[in-house]
Amino acid sequence: MSDPIEAFFAQLARQAPERVLRRTTGTIRFELEGSDGLDVWHVTIRHGRLAVEHRARYADTVIRTRRDVFVRMARGEVKPLTAWLRNEIVADGHFRFVVLLERLFPAPPGARHPRERAGRRPG
Amino acid sequence: MNQNLVRVLDGNVFVLSEDNGDIEATAANPVGFFDFDTRFLSVWRLTLNGERLTSLSIAERDHLQMRFFLVPGAPTHYVDAKSSLIRERAITGGVFEERLTLFNHHHVPEEFTVRLDVGSDFAPILGVAAERTPPGRLYRQVEERGLRLGYQRERFQRETAVTSSEPVRVDERGLTWTVRLAPRQAWTTTLRVRSFVLRPDGIDVRDRLERRPRASAEERQDDLSAWLSRTPQLTCDWEALTEAYRRSLVDLAALRYSPLTLPDEVMPAAGLPWAATITGRDSILTSFMALPVAPELASATVRMLGIDQGTVLDDFRDEEPGKILREFRYGEMVAFEERPQSPYYGTADATPLYVILLDEYERWSGDVGLVREFEDEARAALRWIDEYGDLLGDGYVRYLWRNERSGVANQGWKDSPEAICHADGRLPGPPLATCELQGYAYDAKLRGARMAREFWGDPAYADRLEREAAALRERFDRDFWIADRGYYALALDGDGGQVDALASNMGHLLWSGIVPPERAAEVAAHLVGPRLFSGWGIRSLATGQERYNPLGYHLGAVWPFDNALITWGLRRYGFAEEAGRIAEAMVEVSRFFHGRLPEAFAGYARELTEYPVGYPTANSPQAMATATPFLLLRALLGLEAAGEHLLMAPRVPARFGRVELLDVPGRWGRRDVIGSGLAHLAR
Repeated sequence: MSDPIEAFFAQLARQAPERVLRRTTGTIRFELEGSDGLDVWHVTIRHGRLAVEHRARYADTVIRTRRDVFVRMARGEVKPLTAWLRNEIVADGHFRFVVLLERLFPAPPGARHPRERAGRRPG
Repeated sequence: MNQNLVRVLDGNVFVLSEDNGDIEATAANPVGFFDFDTRFLSVWRLTLNGERLTSLSIAERDHLQMRFFLVPGAPTHYVDAKSSLIRERAITGGVFEERLTLFNHHHVPEEFTVRLDVGSDFAPILGVAAERTPPGRLYRQVEERGLRLGYQRERFQRETAVTSSEPVRVDERGLTWTVRLAPRQAWTTTLRVRSFVLRPDGIDVRDRLERRPRASAEERQDDLSAWLSRTPQLTCDWEALTEAYRRSLVDLAALRYSPLTLPDEVMPAAGLPWAATITGRDSILTSFMALPVAPELASATVRMLGIDQGTVLDDFRDEEPGKILREFRYGEMVAFEERPQSPYYGTADATPLYVILLDEYERWSGDVGLVREFEDEARAALRWIDEYGDLLGDGYVRYLWRNERSGVANQGWKDSPEAICHADGRLPGPPLATCELQGYAYDAKLRGARMAREFWGDPAYADRLEREAAALRERFDRDFWIADRGYYALALDGDGGQVDALASNMGHLLWSGIVPPERAAEVAAHLVGPRLFSGWGIRSLATGQERYNPLGYHLGAVWPFDNALITWGLRRYGFAEEAGRIAEAMVEVSRFFHGRLPEAFAGYARELTEYPVGYPTANSPQAMATATPFLLLRALLGLEAAGEHLLMAPRVPARFGRVELLDVPGRWGRRDVIGSGLAHLAR
């Protein structure tokens, strides 16, 4: 699978990030704008477990963004909350799902464990 | 920062102006109409026939509405009574509304030119105190009944729409009305200023998110009345306490804030006007202190901070998994990552304090549901203490910023750069382990153990936490106690050496319970001794320390919230007389500030100044100072939640006379607590 967006959703479907809490429940529709139209994904979260469908369905919250921004989020290079503040992603529905994106997308690359910063070995 | 600015506000929507109602913002005078951490008006200047207006009087009540009575001319002129203006303003439904009424007091008809200059720089709140050239493009659009101002930077866009109910001539710099008035006639127009946080499709981002509509000014008035009638009623022979209590209830009502994430709940914001936002430490400690009067704030705080709990390592935000945030902001500098508050996690105390609040809330409310629901968050917070807070692996919570460009170096409540110092003034090398952080960690582990045993069905985890707490207590006493001085070190430095300044921090240790009983008397004696106790309160840093300065923010000033936590700690260790002395001093201080305890005041000795000297701080009310009278009352009345009961053990100084706190809410329903200034003599 070479498409990074398909790879991202396939990974979500395979295994929900540990950071998604057990009681999280809701649906999100991702509308990704590309040069060849809108690519729509639907994610159902039920008690912390994720199901992904590659089609348009009703959702509590709709997240719309450009494919290139999404790809950078999927690499941890763009943080969802600041992207939302800059209007690089647009949300309809519940703001808590915008905050939840922080738990679906990867951490920024290259971050250090505080012990490493303090000159100690982590763990 | 000018303390005399006048304002109306509703959470993070507020207007600050001069006393004639005008707004002319500069870096030194950050007035304006603010919403969503952005200034939407920086110029709002009224003239009548080309003349500026002078205020004869201002009527202000409860933060909600205000009224300015104005006459043309400079203050040195005699009052020209031929005309006058009333400016009435409110925040209603999130909109800044201002009604202008012009009176012709003359016996002949007059023609007036009313002019309102309007402008906005769309400065983000985090940038208002500095000179700043906006990186984006500012624009203005003349419309039929008003003016539209805008700002765009890439896809980020803010607009201000100003409209007039009466016909008006509009140009790019403002609005002009020509008014002909017969003798003794009046003319009125209503101005509405709306802020827009726009998406690229022209819709306000907030309009497509589930949230309640912003309350009108009337609804908020009703809400305030309801709040005052459902919180406990206090009567006291010493009127100063009743006044401070009443003022705090009104201010706490104004500090209640509904975040976008939890639109149906209210948590306390840290301060008004500049800190009307989600914060960690301030919201937690305020909720803790307010438990006897408004326990619902604690539940909202636990929910909100749980949703925003750190989940990853992020150097820019000083974020680690399980960490509780320091501050969240919506403005431009945060959006474009010039500042890290999205959210910023650079504080080491909020995480253990989070666990403490959750446990204490359950003890008062009996809301077991919340403790079960937030088990994962509480466990993650407890894990943070050992995994990320313990930077050197020696069992102490320390801090070290990874964002050295726009982060905060000192990550306890004393967060100014030189706050943690040696008695001789030297600054210690990082990473620092301040003493109060160890107390919080100890308390968090014990409370975590109680929740694990009673509600999470995990006695093994409870045992482990209790063992860790006991080990921490022993280790702490060994490493922090300075035997020849009889007090605890302010901190350990990065090499494990004691930072030996005498400071208020160790007072929090009594609240946490980490102090062995045999040491408590020495600690208490220092806290109420002449070096720390000024007569008005306990100084943040003792006299005789090299960096002591009565005006030093964390180096000598007295902080009411700090005093409240220490008072409660003294009471817990049985020092009721000492606790009463501090509580009495605090209530006396409040009398000099119209019942409103300030964030901090100067550390001068009482006999030197005879009144407490105000300290120029940005926020008033400041939430933790606002909640101070509630915790002082708890200490005076000896209130503890135990099982299904509210325990009371009043020890009230004679000065207070009789103290009655009626209808204290909790798992017991409602209980009345009555104490008397002489009660303890009979025992």
